[in-house]
Amino acid sequence: MKNSRRDIFKFAGGAVAGALFTPAPWRLITDAALWSENWPGIPRPARGEIRARFTNCALCPAGCAVRARCVGEQPVSLAGVRGGLCPFGLTAHHLPYHPARLKQGPIEEASAAVAKRAADGIAVLDLNPGRTVSWTYRRAMALLKGRYLAPESQAVAYDLSAAKTVLSIGAPLLDGWGTPANVIAARRNFRLIQAEAVESRTAVLADEWIPLAPGTERAFAQQILGALQGGRPSVLASELAGNGPSLVIGDAPEIPEINRLLGAWGKIVVAPQEAPVPDSWTRSAAAITLLADVPDHSIHVLLIDESAAASYIPWHRIQPKLANENPLVVTFAATRGGYARHAKYALPIAVYPELTDDIAPAVDSIHPTFRISVPLVTPPAGLANPAEFVGALAGATASNALRERADEIHKAGLGTVLTYADAKETPVKELTPDAFWKALTEGGEWTQKGARRILSQAPGKSIDPAVRPETAIDLPLIAIREPGNPALVSPLMTKLYQESNLRLAPNRVALHPDDARAANLTNGARAILQTRAGKCSVEVTVDPAVPPGAVLVGSSPGIQDVCAPGVRAKVVSA
Amino acid sequence: MKHRGTIVFAAGVLTALGAGWAGFPRVIYQTHQQPVDFSHQIHADKAGSKCDDCHAFRADGTFAGVPSLDKCSGCHAAAMGSTVAEKNFIDRYVTPQREPAWLVYARQPENVYFSHITHVKRGNLKCEKCHGNQGTSNTLPPFQQDRISGYSRDIWGHAGRPAMTMDACVACHRQSHLEHSCLDCHK
Repeated sequence: MKNSRRDIFKFAGGAVAGALFTPAPWRLITDAALWSENWPGIPRPARGEIRARFTNCALCPAGCAVRARCVGEQPVSLAGVRGGLCPFGLTAHHLPYHPARLKQGPIEEASAAVAKRAADGIAVLDLNPGRTVSWTYRRAMALLKGRYLAPESQAVAYDLSAAKTVLSIGAPLLDGWGTPANVIAARRNFRLIQAEAVESRTAVLADEWIPLAPGTERAFAQQILGALQGGRPSVLASELAGNGPSLVIGDAPEIPEINRLLGAWGKIVVAPQEAPVPDSWTRSAAAITLLADVPDHSIHVLLIDESAAASYIPWHRIQPKLANENPLVVTFAATRGGYARHAKYALPIAVYPELTDDIAPAVDSIHPTFRISVPLVTPPAGLANPAEFVGALAGATASNALRERADEIHKAGLGTVLTYADAKETPVKELTPDAFWKALTEGGEWTQKGARRILSQAPGKSIDPAVRPETAIDLPLIAIREPGNPALVSPLMTKLYQESNLRLAPNRVALHPDDARAANLTNGARAILQTRAGKCSVEVTVDPAVPPGAVLVGSSPGIQDVCAPGVRAKVVSA
Repeated sequence: MKHRGTIVFAAGVLTALGAGWAGFPRVIYQTHQQPVDFSHQIHADKAGSKCDDCHAFRADGTFAGVPSLDKCSGCHAAAMGSTVAEKNFIDRYVTPQREPAWLVYARQPENVYFSHITHVKRGNLKCEKCHGNQGTSNTLPPFQQDRISGYSRDIWGHAGRPAMTMDACVACHRQSHLEHSCLDCHK
């Protein structure tokens, strides 16, 4: 019997049909997917005995104590020591492998260019002031007759554990405001009232959420202040006064006065304190200058330290301070996403957990503290060390500054050092300088408890007599900003928080369906965000949780350059 | 012939079924023998060992997994029996102090974090729940390694042993109302 071509096709058809009922095709699909997970270049933690190492998280000023499970020298998971870590901190051991990370830069060329022009007018912009390296910058700027610029610093520190009622006017109290462990530990003891336009994560977890109309936070604060000053009575003001000690937090300039009238001054609101600093540093340091106080066009060379930046200053506020002709901007950054977009030289720096740095005090740190972020991973070659770069310009050595600071703290002989490995607190006076340094560099925290500095009066923040909201018919929306993310976030976390709608992606804005419809925008559409300061390209999320008349914006530097919270904005189709 | 077409089609089906069920596993899985012919049964019955005598938790709560040679040498410094397997073990590993390169059936991908102590001490799970009746076996089954993915065949559940895939973990957690987040395992 002769086989025809038709027989061959029938046999092949039968074989295909039969194969579908075997494990072969399904196994091959799964295997292909698993094989793709094992491509070269994927970080692969070594197998072996796990040991614990300790450090402090340097992603934000909270500086949470971290226990790292390491196989050999490789951290494979991070956890909090006293309380939890935020999701960004939990995944921070991925950061050295971040695909968007800057790894190379012309360090020597930048150094030569800066040295050549430093005498014309140099400044350092330190976006994370209060660290030991900040003193290095100040000393270097004093020697170079330059300026040390820093964002407006926190004038007060808050002792949440002493509060019985907390009113947060738009502050992300439970979402990155202070040290997570402190805030969560204190949370059970106070009633939290969250007043803000969107039902944020803090609002969801608060005892009461007061929805405000977008852009009326300041008017709300003024109303409470007026009631406390004997004006029109307010139920909320009465509750704050009657269920004290009460604390009000937020950005409105009326808040310090409200806290003074509530009696929080000295009880909950105290002066922030710094760990001891060598006298020789304080004597030879340049003053802290606010960017607003710098004359326009006076900076010829600007060095920007973006490492673990606690804040972002929009570029349109920096640019007028630069010289008209050929200003030289050098930024020390982990990615190209921030000021690197405007800088002539973007120099790569170590990222946590490669970083050796101390951590500036957090907003809820009421005692002087000193914590070092000890590297868990050896940084790759070819990175810039901002302290040494700036120190070298002034002919000063900066490599030993942390040890000098630790020795100064030890010399004062005050306070205790808590070692995370054994949870033991040892008075500093019982330790030798070397033992103190060892405790700090193996994961520890120096604290001088009891050293509480009372503020005699509220910091002088001028209060305008009336709220003058920006009005513009052509800009119908009011911007509300989400809490900021660290500059570098684990790609795993980025994927999770965006897919689960926990946070907006950095270049996204969210609109109420009515506003989206009015602007002819759909979910996922490309759009342009416009404000008086400029415009930037964004993607749109349509979210009924955003109040009508508002635009919720992410925290990418591109958006922050044009859009501050409370400003009027417009979103149009791209 | 009247049904010739059907017969040819059925022949194709049967050939594919045979190749897929009998031939494919032989091709896709590479079989390795464990370095030592170890009997869990003898250790449990004669020596009275329990699972956690050898597969112990360290003082810090981490799981030691397969015991190191030191643990074996504690009892087997010299041969304790007359079997060929034991003689080989002493000659090849104990005397030269060479760690046996055990092949781990339950090896999970690198992006999975699994805490044995949480499941055993807090969840009160028996070892058999995930590892099957390994502890009562007289010989170690051959280690069948997928040639493409590199994982053990046992991960997908095989020869009476339960699956150890993400789906299996999720199903068990769902059944116990313990669904939390991706980050529990993918840290």
